[in-house]
Parts: sequence; C-alpha cells; structure tokens
Amino acid sequence: MIRKSPMKQENRQMISGADFEQYFQPQSLEKALEIKAEYEDQIEVAAGTTDLLVANYEKLHQIKNWLDLDKLSELRQIEVKDNNLYIGAMATHLQLMKSDLIKEKFPVLAAAAEDVGSPQIRSRGTIGGNICTSSPAGDLLAPLLSYQASFKLQSAEAERIVEAEEFFTGPKRNLMEADELLTEIIIPLTENKREGAWVKVGRRKALVISTLTLSVVLEFEAEQIVKAGVAMGSVAPTPIRLGEVEEMMLGNTLAELDYKKLGQEVKARINPIDDLRGTKEYREDVAADVMVRALNEIERKRG
Amino acid sequence: MQITFTVNGEERELEVTPYTRLLDLLREDLGLTGVKEGCGKGECGACTVIMNGELTASCLVPAPQADQAEILTVEGLGTRDDLHPIQESFVEAGAVQCGYCIPGMILAGKRLLDENPEPTEKEVRYGLSGNICRCTGYAKIIDAVMLAADKLAVEGSDSSD
Amino acid sequence: MTDQNKRIKDYFCKHTTRCTIEGVKKSKRFVGHDVLKADAWDKVTGEAVYPDDIFFDDLLYVKIKRAVHPHAILKDIDISQAKKVNGVVDIVIAEDIPDVRQFGLIIRDQPVLIAPGEKMRYMGDPLAIVVAETKEAAKKARDLIKVKVEELEVITDPFRAMEDDAPDIHPDGNIVITHHLNRGDVDEAFKNSAIVEENRYQTQFIDQLPMQNEAGVALYDERRGVVNIWAATQWLHDTQADVAQSLRLSKDQIRIIQPTIGGAFGKKEDVSVHIHLAIAAMRTGRPVKLCFTREESMITQSKRHPITIINKTGVDRDGYLTAWETKFIGDTGAYASSGPAVVHKGMYHATGPYNCPNLRGVSHAVYTNNTYAGAMRGFGTAQGAFAYEQQMDILAEKLSIDPAEFRLKNIYQKDSITPNGQQLTHSVNAEETIKRVMELSDWKGGRK
Repeated sequence: MIRKSPMKQENRQMISGADFEQYFQPQSLEKALEIKAEYEDQIEVAAGTTDLLVANYEKLHQIKNWLDLDKLSELRQIEVKDNNLYIGAMATHLQLMKSDLIKEKFPVLAAAAEDVGSPQIRSRGTIGGNICTSSPAGDLLAPLLSYQASFKLQSAEAERIVEAEEFFTGPKRNLMEADELLTEIIIPLTENKREGAWVKVGRRKALVISTLTLSVVLEFEAEQIVKAGVAMGSVAPTPIRLGEVEEMMLGNTLAELDYKKLGQEVKARINPIDDLRGTKEYREDVAADVMVRALNEIERKRG
Repeated sequence: MQITFTVNGEERELEVTPYTRLLDLLREDLGLTGVKEGCGKGECGACTVIMNGELTASCLVPAPQADQAEILTVEGLGTRDDLHPIQESFVEAGAVQCGYCIPGMILAGKRLLDENPEPTEKEVRYGLSGNICRCTGYAKIIDAVMLAADKLAVEGSDSSD
Repeated sequence: MTDQNKRIKDYFCKHTTRCTIEGVKKSKRFVGHDVLKADAWDKVTGEAVYPDDIFFDDLLYVKIKRAVHPHAILKDIDISQAKKVNGVVDIVIAEDIPDVRQFGLIIRDQPVLIAPGEKMRYMGDPLAIVVAETKEAAKKARDLIKVKVEELEVITDPFRAMEDDAPDIHPDGNIVITHHLNRGDVDEAFKNSAIVEENRYQTQFIDQLPMQNEAGVALYDERRGVVNIWAATQWLHDTQADVAQSLRLSKDQIRIIQPTIGGAFGKKEDVSVHIHLAIAAMRTGRPVKLCFTREESMITQSKRHPITIINKTGVDRDGYLTAWETKFIGDTGAYASSGPAVVHKGMYHATGPYNCPNLRGVSHAVYTNNTYAGAMRGFGTAQGAFAYEQQMDILAEKLSIDPAEFRLKNIYQKDSITPNGQQLTHSVNAEETIKRVMELSDWKGGRK
C-alpha cells in the first residue's frame, strides 16, 4: 500500500528570492561596466537572452548573478559617423533587417539578420549576443568578417577596438576579458560600388542552426575588384575569412574570374567537422557550390 | 524584484524572481494559460506573445525584462462571444486540431496582418515560420490567415464608409 | 469547492457530454458535410484546459530522478542531501512502495521505481519521485540525489541483442516475441521466377513529437479513497486499469480524467506521469503536478520503431509478383510497450497493397537499451511501406516496365486476399487511387 509520507508536515519553506544573489538592471553603461568589473566572470550577461535561457533551461534558478543590459537604450543605436557605421551591441536582428541604412549599405548583413531563427528570435536576439556567444554557426558573423567590421570592447578602466577577424578564438570562445563588455560594432563605409551575396544552408528555412553560411562582399572600381571579403560560418572552429581566395579575385573583373575554380579554392581552405547538421564531406561539396552561386548572384545584381 | 507591465490592456504590478520566465509569469501568476510551453527553448512558438508590438517567445524572456513592456496574449484578442476575425477564421477554416499551437499561430497571424494586410501565401508562411504545428500540415492554418486578411479588408472598408 | 475547481469541473462536464455543433446549422447527418470542430472556440480563445493548465491552491510539483546509465545495476541511492533542500515535501524511492507492481501496455515489464539490486534498462528509467513546493526546489533536490551503479554492456543494436552471448536485458531474454507468416510454396515460386530481388532496409527512430509534452495533475480524495488524475492518455480505460493494478487499487479508486490533449500520435498510449502522480498525491495528501520537459519526453516516452526489413521478392516475366519472403527485426528498446503488436503488424503488411500468392515471413520485436518504441501513426506499416515500395521500383526497373503499370498489375482488387488471410470484400480503391495520381501528376512513365 502507498503509505503517507513521513516528511509531509515539515520543511514547507519555499525557495525565495534569497536563493539568488543579485539581479542588476543598470540604467547606464557606466554602471554596467562597474558591475562587470566587480563580478567579472561570476555574472551572467543578459542581452536578448535567446541563447542564455536556452543554455540554462531548467537551471535558471542556479544563476547567482545577472547583469541585464536591457535598459541600456544607448546600446541600441544604429548610426553613421565619420565614414563608419556604428551598431550598438544591443541592436536586435529585427532592427538590422529593417534598418534602411543597413539594407542600403550592408545588404548582406541585413539578409543574414533576416535568416536568424524566427520572427520570435529576431525580435529579441541581439548582434552583440550573436558575437559574444561566438558560435561558429552565428549567422551574423560571416557578414561582419566580410565587411571587415571591428568591435569596441569596454571595461570600467579602458576601451579597445578589436578586428572581427581577430576576435574569435575557438568554438564559443573569444578574446574578451572578464571585465569587458562588447558595446559597439564598427563597419567602414566606402565610396566604391559594393555588391554582395549571402547564402545560408540549413535543414529547414526557419529555426535552424546553419549547416554552413557564406558571405561574399566585393568592392569595384569600374569593373575591377579592388577589395574582397569572403567569409564562412560552420566550416571551422570559428567563423573564418578566406584571405587567400580574396587575393585571387583582386585586380580582376568578374568576367575574368573562374567561378568553378574559386569554388574549389574555397573547398580546399575550410576545415569542417561531421555533426548532426551535416558531414564534413557534405559541407566541403556544398561550400564549393555556394561560392559559385554567390558569384553568380553578384554578377546578376551588377547586371 | 518588482515589475510593472501592461497585459492585454491592463496594467499589472508583480513581484518576480529572475528565474521566472515571462511564460511562467503569464501562466502561473496571471492565469493566462492560453500561452503554452512546447519546448522551452524558443523552437516551437507555442509560447508566442506580442511584446511591444513584436512576436516574442515568452519562454526566452526573463521576467525582469518584461518590466514596462506591453504584452498581448491570445486572451486579449477576443472572447468566445466576440471573436477577433483571425480567431473566427481559424474556426471556420478548420485550422484547429489539437489546438496547442493555435494561440501562438493566431498571434503570429495577427502580427503579420497588422504590418501586411494583404499577404501572399509565401509571406504568410514566412510570418508563421516561428510556429510549429504537428497536426495540420499547415495548409488550413495558412488558409485561415488568408481568410482573416479578407475578413479584415472587408471590415476595414465597412468602417471607412 | 474553489472557483478553480468549479471551472475545471464545468469544463469537463461540458466537454464530455457536448455533442451539438455551434455556429452551423444543425444537421442530422455529419458525413459529407463540413462540420466545424466543437472545441475550436475554446482553442482559439485560449480557454481550452490542457493538463499543464490545471492549477490548485496548495499545488506541489513533482520531478523524477532518472537513470544515470542505459544499462546498469542500481547499487545505492542516497537522498539525504536532497531531503534537506528547502521546500522539499517528499522523496519517494523504491523501498517506500514495496507493493507496487510493474506496468505496461501489452507486457507488464516497466518498473515504477528501480530498487537497489535492480537494473536500469534505459536513460528514462525512474529512480525517485521528488515532490516539492516549487519547481525549483524539486529540480534542486532531484539533482542532489546520489546514485551508485554497476555498469553493464549497453546494447543499442537488436542484432547484438539476439546473439547468444549478449546479456539479457529482461529475465526472459531479449526477443520479446516472434511471429511467423506462411502461405503457398515460396521456395518453388522463387525457383520459377524470372527475377528475384533481395534487399535490406533500415528505418530509424522517430519521435511522434506532439506539441504538448506529457503532463498531469493528481488529487487524492482520501475520504472516498479515490485518486483523480488529470492527464493525457489515448486509452482511458486501459490506463485506468494499468494504474490501478500497479498500485493494487480497484479500478473505481482510479479516475483518469482526460483534459484537452495537445497531440499524441501514439506517444500518449503509454502510461507516463500517471502512476508517479498517484503515488505523490496519496503520500502527500495534496494536489500534485508533473510536467515533462521536451528533453524528458524525448528520452522517456515511446518512439516509432526502427525496423530492419529484409525483403526477397520474385516476379515472373509478365510482371506479376510470384513470391515474397520477409524478415522484420524491430528494435523495441528497453520495454515492450506496443512493440509486440507493431512489429508483427508491419510484417503482415510486408507486401503492401500488392497481390502475392506465396509468402513467408518472420518478425522479432527485440529488447535493447534504447528508449522504448511503441505506437506511432501507421503502427509498423510506415516502415514496411518504405521497404516494399523500394522493392517495387527496383523490380520495375529490372523488368524495364513503367513502375506505375507494374503496380497496377499487382494492386489489390475486390476479393484480393491479404497476407494474413483477410479477403477484401468492399472499399478496395487502390487501383483508382494510382490512376488518379497518374492523371493528376501528368505521369509520363517515370522515365527522365
């Protein structure tokens, strides 16, 4: 028979607010940096929380300290100053895909933002979160690399600018210090005509972690390619920029490029793994194909 | 900690902990059980609410971040006796089976039609792309949103007369 | 009765008795009419009450500590630290419920809680029931339960499970059940066939993935000795009987109340939260709630069977099937669930909707340490369809005939006899279906 529990009448005290220590929701960046300096890696930084709450599902009560940047509207600005575009780290994917400025000047970034997760994720997830999570599959990362973006890292004491290409050091690892916050993304503007293409390969169209992403941005003087940014996600431990492939394109016109060969060059320079989303072999073959597709698209857009 | 927010037009003040998700707050503290948990990880859309005008997965919002927000759940859209045209369309198009995804689907449909009153089927699919249904195969759900667009268009032209 | 309770009661009275249709003109006949679903209004307004939507004042939350290894003997379970967590009301381990019996849909092979000395057979096996004032306290306590195990060989492949030297997952061996099928003279027919084609097919685990996870609430009415369980099930009375026998109660002491169900597709045929909820409710005397997370639902509850199918099919020069030999090896995972029925049903449909006079088949449902497999839409036949339709395509190609024509030649007609001997006397419209598909798809013979 089921006997009555001997514990029944005791021990009825609930878990209360005392089980976590601190929830900080600073109203200014200065204050946020002070808190970060004090707690360093003993605090969880909350931006759009679309990664944080997934990683801590069923364990949210175990987070002791929270630094919630939600109230820092100063970090949500998107603006042009001195020939650079500045995107606040708390700008959401939705903001990026809707911004006329980004759609016009950095369409590959806007297109990538439009491919992140789902409407529900894009309305909350932030560019800063995408960067700081540093997943090799982060959808905005390849476009940021190909636009040669840099990141402003601030601490209470100092600030520094780091090139996107230098920032990522491994899967979910980057060179941010424990007392730093990412505050701004800086992307240079150009006088030249620029054209680009974005490819995301995944098992579904929405709500999918990329099997592979490719971002190609070319800058032209007349017909000649004078600058190139070719970057990929989910094909190496970090998002990568393919400098050698870029070199091969410089000084040429599109008509002079052998797309198929460039596809093979891309394939030769990536280092994907087998995982749930695709095999190494699949990713290598697809990488070559999507490079051709991207170049075709750029050619079409240039008319 | 204390937060203040507006839910379905009503201002609420509540004591929350950081490990309370907006989902729990709505369901357990406010009894708005039309908001459903399907996965808890933002993958299924069953917990969708409209927060500050945008579709939001309420399972991915720590309650303190809902402070000062304006939130709409399916309960705020229409009642049994006074259905919103989108709700009506879901009934009439046979879009409802087990019903667990439906509150989220309806809100995604509403958000889409607010911005784009005459969507193409492709746009409807994109608008609903954050919501999973396992019963219907989506066809009738898409029909329902298209039907709602027609209804709202007629309603709109009536009121302007 | 609180308002909440009244609301729930009203809801269920309404939903179990209502048979009229609102919003449309009433009709005596439903077949052939467009009928609006009676519960659609509740579902579009958020009023429909699913198991997780039921709350009581004084509600306790339940979490289950599950296996730490897919195949291991439980040596020791230590709940002393877990008990100290603030808000924990009860932690139930096997020794607290010595009389409780095993349960299961067809074979009662699933333990309610694993006792020291017994084996955990997959990652979903329950070791302890934690009951607490809050979900957080229950989770915290669950994670503080310490377990010692002796690991055994983990069997994930049914072919390994069938080998002589494989350890027995259950006392009676790893083959749960074997079925045979015999008709005509298969060996002779193969000898006289123009082409004989043999292939091996493998299907995979599929989760039914209903939108709502397993969830429920239970309340023990001590005065009447009745446990009320609000939880989803697909077989109300079977679940009631199984829960009652497991707890050694009479059936009228268990009330299973079906709230609105958030999808099932076969996954909710098995007992999930019910028995643990009943135990927690009876021991604490308070209403209790248990909701699986998606991950828990994936690990714990049934799947579509992965089946290895070996088909050998003979055909004569005119394109008629002559003989079919088939073998179905179904991985039913750690527990039988519906496996014994699913795998042999799949085999009985091995030839699909095609006439074949000579048949031989064998099916085995086999235990492994995978999550158990049970019912899912089609009940074994979906796996079979993949294999027999491939056979038909391959044979058509070898015969150099149109795969649609090949199918039409062999398709079931009125009075055809299925492999298990059933004569089809009415509603046989497979030929019509194929012809309609050919018409609608502008079929050009399947050639590029």
